[in-house]
Amino acid sequence: MKILVLNCGSSSVKYQFLDMQDEKVLAKGKVERIGMDDAIFEYKGSAGQEIKEVTPILDHNVAVRKVLAALTDKEHGVISSPDEITAVGHRVVHGGEAFSGSVIIDHEVKRTLRALFDLAPLHNPPNLTGILAVEAALPGVPQCGTFDTAFHSTMPEVAYLYALPYAMYKRHKVRRYGFHGTSHRYVSERAMQLMGPRPNLKLITCHLGNGSSLAAVMDGKSVDTSMGFTPLEGMIMGTRSGDVDPGVFPYIMSREEISMAEISSMLNKHSGLLGISGISSDMRQIEEEMENGNPRAKLAFDMLEYRLRKYIGAYAAAMNGVDGIVFTGGIGENSPVLREKVLRNLSFLGITLDEVANLDRARGERRISGPDSKVEVWVIPTNEELVIARDTRDLVLQMQQGKDQREPDLVGTTAD
Amino acid sequence: MAVRTWGVLGTGPLGRGIAELAAAKGFEVIIWGAAAADLDQARRIIDLALQQQIERWAITESEKRATLGRIRFTTDLAQLTGAQFVVDASSSSVKEIQERFRQLDELCDSDVIFSVATSTVSVTEIAAATQRPEKVIGCHFLPPVTSTRVVEVVRGLKTTDETVGDVIGMLCNMDRVGVEVFESPGYVTTRLIIPLINEACAVLMESVASAEDIDTAMRLGFGMARGPLETADRVGLDNILLHAERLWREYGDQKYRPSPLLKKMVRAGQLGVETGEGFFKYDAEGNRIKPQLGGSL
Repeated sequence: MKILVLNCGSSSVKYQFLDMQDEKVLAKGKVERIGMDDAIFEYKGSAGQEIKEVTPILDHNVAVRKVLAALTDKEHGVISSPDEITAVGHRVVHGGEAFSGSVIIDHEVKRTLRALFDLAPLHNPPNLTGILAVEAALPGVPQCGTFDTAFHSTMPEVAYLYALPYAMYKRHKVRRYGFHGTSHRYVSERAMQLMGPRPNLKLITCHLGNGSSLAAVMDGKSVDTSMGFTPLEGMIMGTRSGDVDPGVFPYIMSREEISMAEISSMLNKHSGLLGISGISSDMRQIEEEMENGNPRAKLAFDMLEYRLRKYIGAYAAAMNGVDGIVFTGGIGENSPVLREKVLRNLSFLGITLDEVANLDRARGERRISGPDSKVEVWVIPTNEELVIARDTRDLVLQMQQGKDQREPDLVGTTAD
Repeated sequence: MAVRTWGVLGTGPLGRGIAELAAAKGFEVIIWGAAAADLDQARRIIDLALQQQIERWAITESEKRATLGRIRFTTDLAQLTGAQFVVDASSSSVKEIQERFRQLDELCDSDVIFSVATSTVSVTEIAAATQRPEKVIGCHFLPPVTSTRVVEVVRGLKTTDETVGDVIGMLCNMDRVGVEVFESPGYVTTRLIIPLINEACAVLMESVASAEDIDTAMRLGFGMARGPLETADRVGLDNILLHAERLWREYGDQKYRPSPLLKKMVRAGQLGVETGEGFFKYDAEGNRIKPQLGGSL
């Protein structure tokens, strides 16, 4: 079974094509600047074949057809006909309260996705555009949606509600949804496999990248996460502030004489590592400048570490204990300095560090806590595409086995 | 037809504002000007406007680069054949605008929509110069174009529902609300704001209240972002006077007769934000210079 995984943004499509026999990536790439005359198409096959061209790609329909053409290309392709594509899996950002797992996309699902546009006005519309583009290019091929929010649908009320008037939740569905769910799910499942079966395993997964979030995962279920109604809450990120007292917004707005749209832009694009350091949103550059003795870079690093530490502490308290901590994402996987700093500051949890394993950049999945550590600490590179492909495979198999279609097509949020 | 590229005619404040807005919303923009020097100036001012947006935290450096990268400048009308939507934002005469659209009519595909952004020319009159009167429409953007969310969409005599729908839909995707109006002097916004400003001038002239207090009363009394006098300063008192005189001429109603104070200030060259002083004083970036607190206490 071969599955195409798509992540459609407003002007981009990222794709991976996997053979589910051995879960091998046959090809991957991206289309950028969709809608422009100088759009960029990139394709990499598993045998090292590459395509990179700058060409007009007017919309997502053209982009999807371009991907299919490359996959079936005589010279660079990996399949001989689009018929070999069994199914297509999509990353969908917001599932609201409607989706607690991946689903086969049908009319009803599309209608629900439209209804969710208000909750994710930037992300859900292009996700649906991608779904419609595949429908046009590959009629009859089943499509599956995997939601960034789904893994966190197990959060209890005490964790997902804001202490606003309850009417805000009832009327407008204002609550915490959480994001990066597919990543938290993947790394927590991997950690459970790596750590061996234990009842009530308590994990804290730290997805630290351009956007960052933590999740408290108990017995395979997300019980809390740091992003909320939008991906702005929680951690200090590349350009996002994370938690801020909402009381400062009217004050800043009147002092700077700026509008709601401008304050939103300030919080999303001008804050975080970039806002504090004034240098960069990129952790690598912050660390470099910190080594050069730049005090603002050090401050940004220290603030991020402090926020991270507070969240780990909070989630250990939320679960009344912690058995494992997992680092993933661009920063989580590649910043031994941050990992070391935060773990040394968490010695009260009985954590010790395996310095060699921590510094070893070449190895992928590895345990970085010492043998005597009371909490296991792991680095696990995330793989969201694989989760989407697996869910798509499972749903398609279920469908083929002619399961009663009246039952909701949900694929588990727990380990296989 | 899917619009990807806007053609903007005119390099004045209106043309620049529309070009900046369309580019910021992801459209490619070709801006046409009569002279290379005008285009150079337009480029500089748009660059500056985007820089000010960065300072107001509204956009980032890379968004500024992307927006500027989407705007091309040309003195060659034929370059506009690449556009699917053309808007004239020049301050040219009706004859000149008609002539340009006559040329574009031959150059552009038949399904390209032509529009005029200036409220002082008749859409029907412009449409008559083309072979596509059903595709000619008015788009009255209010200054400041990049931050005002309403656009009056003006129907000429032969403008079709389809054209109106296409334009309102496109504006909606740009986070703008299109309000449909029929051709009539001043449409809705100009016709209602001019008498208000004019009456505010009369109230000031009769020493009923200070300029500051007139604006404060209206701002707080009716939930306006700005009072009528500051609004006048921002639009430009010369423009206000032109609009008032035109409405007076068109409707012949005394209520549009420009206040003597307005005329006097325009004669004195005290035009508002643009000259640094109107009813109030402004710095080079157009911010109000507030009187020192405590002075009147």
